[in-house]
Amino acid sequence: MNGQINETTIHDLGYQRYEGARDGVRGAWRALFAQGFRAMFGLGRPLKSKAVPAFVLSATMLPCLAVLAASSASGGQLPIAYGGLIQAQLILFVLFAAAQAPEVMSHDQQHRVLPLILTRDVTRDVYASARIAAVLCALLVVCAAPLLLLYVGEIGIAVDPATAFRKMGAKAGPVLMQATLSAWVIGAIGAAMASMTPRRAYATASVIGVFLVAAAVSIGLDDLAGVSAEVSEFIDPLRSLHKMALILFGEKNRAMELTPPPPLWMFAVLALSLGTAGVLATFWRLRRVGV
Amino acid sequence: MTVSIEPGITGLVGSNGAGKSTLVKILLGLLEPSSGSANVMGHDVERDTRAIRSLVGYMPEHDCLPPEMTAAEFVSFMARCSGLPATAARERAAEVLRHVGLFEERYRPIRGYSTGMAQRVKLAQALVHDPRILVLDEPTNGLDPAGRDEMLALIQRTGREFGISVLVSSHLLGELERICDHVILIDAGRLVRAERLGALTGETGTLLVEVDGDVDAYCAALTAQGLVVQRDVLRVLVELPNGDDAESVARVFATHDIVRDVAVATGVGLLRIERRRGHLEDLFAGSVS
Repeated sequence: MNGQINETTIHDLGYQRYEGARDGVRGAWRALFAQGFRAMFGLGRPLKSKAVPAFVLSATMLPCLAVLAASSASGGQLPIAYGGLIQAQLILFVLFAAAQAPEVMSHDQQHRVLPLILTRDVTRDVYASARIAAVLCALLVVCAAPLLLLYVGEIGIAVDPATAFRKMGAKAGPVLMQATLSAWVIGAIGAAMASMTPRRAYATASVIGVFLVAAAVSIGLDDLAGVSAEVSEFIDPLRSLHKMALILFGEKNRAMELTPPPPLWMFAVLALSLGTAGVLATFWRLRRVGV
Repeated sequence: MTVSIEPGITGLVGSNGAGKSTLVKILLGLLEPSSGSANVMGHDVERDTRAIRSLVGYMPEHDCLPPEMTAAEFVSFMARCSGLPATAARERAAEVLRHVGLFEERYRPIRGYSTGMAQRVKLAQALVHDPRILVLDEPTNGLDPAGRDEMLALIQRTGREFGISVLVSSHLLGELERICDHVILIDAGRLVRAERLGALTGETGTLLVEVDGDVDAYCAALTAQGLVVQRDVLRVLVELPNGDDAESVARVFATHDIVRDVAVATGVGLLRIERRRGHLEDLFAGSVS
């Protein structure tokens, strides 16, 4: 090149020191949370990992759209049953947690990235809290989306949206409470079960398994042991979340017309404690998992 | 065991199960010592874990890479786990990956990487937060000879040119001999030796002579001159007199002269005359047996 400097060459400057800012634990927590939250929806992962989140979101929201359309066509005569719609959605939320929580909770154990992360500015508790928060927030998005769609839709299709908005103010609380508690219970139990094993398939199976077993035990007590439905439904988290929704939105199924349901606060306390147990179990597991 | 590790490149040697990885994990605060204490740059491993973590970069012996991420994503994620802001983390990741010799490949998922590339990514993630100490657990594991040489050269360059102290563990002595300043030898959790490599592999009292021609006749002629000679296939080992006094030194020189003169007399070609250096291998064999 006759002594000319070739300007297209990237010069190897060798190793460079880093003197810039360090955010410490807070930065590490944010990184773990953000990466986990994205992984819950399969973002930054192959197309395959996006299948379940996409399916669950559409399968929970499309029926809501259908109900809204029917209600709109009938001129608001057809009531929108929030609680009724939630029953089918809950099992899909469990499917979402089962498919995606292992991506966050057991993936690092499976590929042994965890010991590496733990040599950074990250303690086991910091790691656990960031990952649980990621799972819970993703579940909150998934649980809240169909309810918010119904809520916004019900105002939208009203003949007079302004009046409907004032009237609907009372429903905002139940919508948020139902979404938060569903996410808290399903997310925390899902995270706990998924963190127990480094094997992805086992993790998924155990999340579904724990809800299935609870349902089976609950029905068994009901049918075989003759325990009353009011007691046995407390054993099945999904049934109690559904019952809570019915009470919250002031709907009634046939059984509830015969015997009045237990008070709302009992369901709320149950949901809070189930979720708390899940979160504590996750912390317990991640403090002990070998590296 | 009690040992202090000085700056520079230090080799940690021991057979499988000798406790190398355990020692490394205790130093990193991943395992709690069952008894005793350890310090890293003045920080106690049990109390100041956090202070140590920003100082140390760890490359584990096992696979530790998520297959679906790209090297660029993973290394910058690890930088963020060390508290680097997002933009700085991306820049550092690109820089460090270039330093370890990964260029365009860094945008491909790790799933498709060869062992050599995976080892480079592991080294890159250990360097990305600019540690003062690098702890490498069996960095050449699973590499072919060429990959091994490159990895060792990379470690040596990192340790020498950038002022990062390196603790590198291996059960292969030959490769540590090439790059280390100090060597720590452990066996079954006990310290066998910890010394400067120079002291361990200094000159011995043996002269190594390589000749071309009738080696038997040459050996016989040397023995006739009153030297203690040992035959090692094509090489001849000649014992040198011990001692530092003037007389011994003079006799060492005289021995060199005899080796030369006898070669001329017996008509063999003299290929090499060299003070034999101690090998880590000999030392290891001696210590363990």
